[in-house]
Formats: sequence, C-alpha cells, structure tokens
Amino acid sequence: MAPRARAAALPWLLIAPSLILACGVIGYPFFEIIRLSLSDVSRFGQIRGFAGWDNFARIASDDIFIAALLRTLTWTVCVVGGTILVSLPVALVLREDFWGRGVARTILMLPWSIALSMAAIVWLWAFNADYGMINATLVSWGIVDKPLQWMARPETAFPVEVGIGIIVSIPFTVTILLGGLSSIGGEIYEAARIDGATGWQSFWAMTLPLLAPFLNIAIVLNVIHVFNSFPIIWVMTQGGPNNQTHILVTYLYELSFYLGRPGPAAAVSLVMLAIVFSATAIYMRLREA
Amino acid sequence: MRNGWKFLAAGAVLAITLSTLPARSETVRMTVSFYSAATGPYFEKMAAEFHAANPTIDVKIDVVNWPALLQKLQTDISGGTNADVSIIGTRWLLDFVKDGIAEPMDAHMGAGFKERFIGPFLKPGQIGGKTYGLPIAASARAMYYNKTMLTKAGFPDGPKTWDDVAAAAEKIKANGGNGFGLMAKGTEVDVYFYYALWTQGGDVLDANQKAAFASPAGIKALAMYKTMLDRGLTEPGPTNYTREDLQNQFKQGRLGMVITAPFLINQIAKEAPTLEYGIVPVPVATTPATYAVTDSVVMFANSKVKPAAWKWLDFLFSKEPRIAFTKGEGFLPTTVEEAKDPAFTENERLKVFVNLLPNARFAPTVTGWEDTAKAVTDAVQSVYLGTATPEAALTTAAAKANQSLGK
Repeated sequence: MAPRARAAALPWLLIAPSLILACGVIGYPFFEIIRLSLSDVSRFGQIRGFAGWDNFARIASDDIFIAALLRTLTWTVCVVGGTILVSLPVALVLREDFWGRGVARTILMLPWSIALSMAAIVWLWAFNADYGMINATLVSWGIVDKPLQWMARPETAFPVEVGIGIIVSIPFTVTILLGGLSSIGGEIYEAARIDGATGWQSFWAMTLPLLAPFLNIAIVLNVIHVFNSFPIIWVMTQGGPNNQTHILVTYLYELSFYLGRPGPAAAVSLVMLAIVFSATAIYMRLREA
Repeated sequence: MRNGWKFLAAGAVLAITLSTLPARSETVRMTVSFYSAATGPYFEKMAAEFHAANPTIDVKIDVVNWPALLQKLQTDISGGTNADVSIIGTRWLLDFVKDGIAEPMDAHMGAGFKERFIGPFLKPGQIGGKTYGLPIAASARAMYYNKTMLTKAGFPDGPKTWDDVAAAAEKIKANGGNGFGLMAKGTEVDVYFYYALWTQGGDVLDANQKAAFASPAGIKALAMYKTMLDRGLTEPGPTNYTREDLQNQFKQGRLGMVITAPFLINQIAKEAPTLEYGIVPVPVATTPATYAVTDSVVMFANSKVKPAAWKWLDFLFSKEPRIAFTKGEGFLPTTVEEAKDPAFTENERLKVFVNLLPNARFAPTVTGWEDTAKAVTDAVQSVYLGTATPEAALTTAAAKANQSLGK
C-alpha cells in the first residue's frame, strides 16, 4: 500500500470498531422496526406475512393517531417553550454571585436525580382529588370551594402534564445555559457598563446572542427528549380519558402492548423518527442560515 | 507460579461443584403474574415442595406485574427465550393458538385430569376441541356495600335492583358520602358498563360475534349511569377513578357501593378489618348477570422439557396446592376438590360469588376483544365527559369494534 493510501486508511481503521458497534446497535433495531412495520405481526411478535403499506394506511385512517399527532406538537412546543422561558431567567439568577448560590444550584438540580416515572407518581398523588396536596392547599386558601378533579378531564389533566413536563426539564436546561453563561467573559459587561448600557440592553445585545449556540442545543435536545417523553402522561392518565391526552409515544405503547398490534406500532415509531429527524434538521439549517 | 496454584484451586472447586450436581437435572421455567404479595412466596414454596418430591426437576419462577406481562411475553416469544409454562390472560389464548405458540395438553393428561376442573372454567381454555389453557385463577364480580351507610339509607340488606342503588345513593349523598362507585379509568371500564348492559337484557356481541352493545338496552344502560353521575349519586369525576381507587375509597368507608372482584374480601380483612360490609349480586334491571374471568396456564410448544413441565402442572393442579393458592389470593376455586374445602363452603361472602356463576358471562374467545374493550371504554368516557350522547358514542364504538372483531 502506498504510504498516502495507508495514511488515509488509518483513521478509518481506528474508528472501525466503534463504527461497527454503532451500526450494530443502531442498525439492527432500525432494520427490525422497518421489517415489523411492513409485516402482519401477531400480538406475540410472530410475523404472519408481508403487509406492504397496510400498517401505515391503518394508522393514517385512525382518528386517535391524527389527534395524538397534533397533540404531540402542542405538547412539545409548550413543554420546550415553557422550559426555555423558565430556565433562562433561572440560569441568569444562578450566575450571579450571591450568598447560598451553591445550595440554590444543588436544590435546582435535585429533581434530575429522581426517575421520571417516580416524579410522575409523586405529582399524581399531589394532584389526587381526594387527598392531594394541591387541592388541600387551594381549598385551605379559599381559592376553590371544593376539591377539583384534576385528572378527570383532559382540559385540566393535559395542562397539568405540560406543567410537570416543564418542571422536570428545567434542571437539564439550566445546566446547559449555565455552562453557556460561564463561557461569556465578564470584561464585555464591564465595557458595556462603562459605555452606559442598561441591564436590559446588555442582556439583549450581548448575553442572548452569545448564548444562542447553547440555547440551540438546549432546544434541540429538549425537543428530542420531550417529543419521546413517555412516563409523565402514561403514569398520570394513560392517554385518557377518551384518548384526549395521548401523545404519539403513549399511543404507540397502548397500540403495541395493550391492543397487541406491534405492526402498526412500528409504523407509528417510524413516523415519529421521521418527525424528530426532520424537525432537528430544519432547525439546525435555520440557525445556520 | 502463584497463579498456577490459584488455577488449580479454582479447578478443584469447579470439579467438586459439578460432581455434586445430579446426573440429569431438568429445569422448568414458569412465568407467573403478580396477583398480590402472596403470589411469589406461594410459587416458590410449591416449587420447593415439588423439587423435594422430584429431585431431578428444578422449577424456576419468574414473577411479573400484570401490566408488564403481555410486554414480557411479547419480547420473550419473539426472541425465543420464553419460559416453559406461563400464566396468561385467557383472552390472549386465541393468538397463542393461531401462532402455534401454545402446546395442546390433552396428550399429556392422565385419565380423569379434565374432570378435576369445574366445567365452565375449563371451557375458555379449550379451542377447536383441544385444551391449551388450564384455569389457574378464576374470579367473578359482585356488589360490595357499606352496611353502615346502606342501613342508614334504608337498605340494610343491600340493593337488589338499579332503582335500589339510585335510591340508596340519593340518601347517602344527603348524608354526605359517595353513593355508587362508577369506574371510568384504567382496566375493566368496559366491564363496568357491561354489568348494566347485561342486567338490562342486552349483550356485548351477537351470535355472529359482531358488536351488539349499541342496542336499546345498551343505550339505556349507559344513560342510567350518566343520569346517576349527573344527579351526583356517584363519586365526582369518575374518569379519575380506577378500580383500585374505588376499592380504596370503599375500604376507607367513604363509598357506599362498588362492583368488584372477590379478592377485595382478603384486602378488607387485612387493611380495614373493622369495616361493616356485605356482598350482594350485581343489581338487576331485568336479567341477573355477572362477569367471570379466568387466567390460564399454558405450556409453550417450543419447551424442551415438556414431560417435566407437565409433571409440575399436574402437581400445581392437585388439591392442596390449589387450596393454598385460591385461599391466599382470594380467588374462586377452579377444581372440584378444592371447592369442597371448608375455606370456601363456609365462607358466606365468597358463596355470593359462587352462586352467581350460573349467570356469569365470560369474555368470548374472539379476536378483537381488546379493541372492543378499548372502543367501549372510549365511548363510556366520552359520555361521562359530556362530549357525546350514549347513543352516538355506542354507535361509533360498535363500528370501531366491528373493524377488528373476528379478524
């Protein structure tokens, strides 16, 4: 082999083991999902025959799927939007040097260490109609005169779930933003202050643009997480009542493991993959432009 | 050289371990569902007893939660790593047989084995004249009522008709409690509607296995529940209440009436021993009815230790193990011999359930039953939420169910 070719082959050779591993780990399930989505699959995963596009046609004609698809978009936009809106000021406050900052940072990060499904169960108790802490508080403050049935109606259950989605996404997002803020040097603020910039001006003209790459990452990662987030909704309402809190991932789970249809469920998961993939691609492209 | 000694020592230990194993030992693996905290210990104990009598057979038990069972079976079966025998919901059996996963057990059975069972409980496990599932757990539904509340309301012996239920609930409401527990979240929401449907003389499916619940009886049944809800005779916001939630309310003495399974007797004895309650048949409009359900044990067709697995099942379905299981879990006896045990014949409360069996409806063995359950659940919830009328909701649900029934 010519020395040049050898030099070109070397990097490939070096990454080959991890490349092969990655292909196996990602490629095999991906291939299986595609195979399932094109097959007539029994409840117990036995492939009974080739189904062509039947599974896709089936979900496309299912009004629960369409509603879940739209609700997934609402869910993602509300949770990610809400998370960023809350996390940004929190990160700005936590950047300031104040007494007890370390404790404040730790407290904020604590929810991260709790498994999502456990957090959802605790919140479900908090929102329990009969002995939940939320109702007890509202009644004792005289805000409502009798306990509210939070989880009984989609109009209240879904916003509650969105709120919890925001709360559990904050630690991760604040961490990213804090990292970003710490990369912005103090000198430019000093210079701005000398030039007479107000706090708002320096936030708008310096902090935000300099934080943009970190905001981007926070948004993209949160979109991916939240779009696929299963535990909160499944634990609290299982997509009900009357399917009105289903997002795609809970609908997919119900389809596969309750109604016993792995084929259409695989089709749903491919649709989800396509959505996340294209959303991320579009967003990245927009930011580059 | 020191390493050499280590290898030698390890080799010696290995050799000793191997030589103490029996020459030919077989392992039977069983997947069981978690019914209560007693389930795991019961099966472990049985496995130990069985092993003592059959030293060459080891039984390994894997306990799985109900909601996770279908998922586990799905992944295990598609990966070919399933156990040798498993407990399944009898309603899944049809798919098992269609896929050739379940082994017909008739050839293994000794003379008189089938006669051990109470006929109607064995029947759902038989498809095409072959026995694929043995009923390990059986249950029926009846109405529990809080004696203190109902006595105050003028029904000391419990309600007999739906009119009684409404009248009693009206009084309980006036006394500041929840009258009738209406279940509209989680599993069995469909069944809760079927109680009213059946007792109004309706049926879920017709003779051609197509949806028949959108009948006048069905509409009347659902309208009755909805009226009770609107009049405040149920707990508020039923779409927030699962079976467990209602059972808890009942145990706490905050709910007058609820229809549920016999295992609540055991729970009350343990958690609310002072609660004064009675059990009566499901209230009637025109026709007496209840729901009965079995879980089955199947043997997998790909098992490599079928004779050993059968021996284990033969043991599990003998008298003493059956009595221990049924008593521990609070189910109904499925075999003739266990039913004769005083634990069941002298239990007045359990007797109510047993006496209901002649009028019991089983979930039919038909594909699409789960889809029907889902469609009916959605319909019931939409009516309670006030987004559809009973007639419209049930008609939509019937159309949906028919897309899957029998296919």
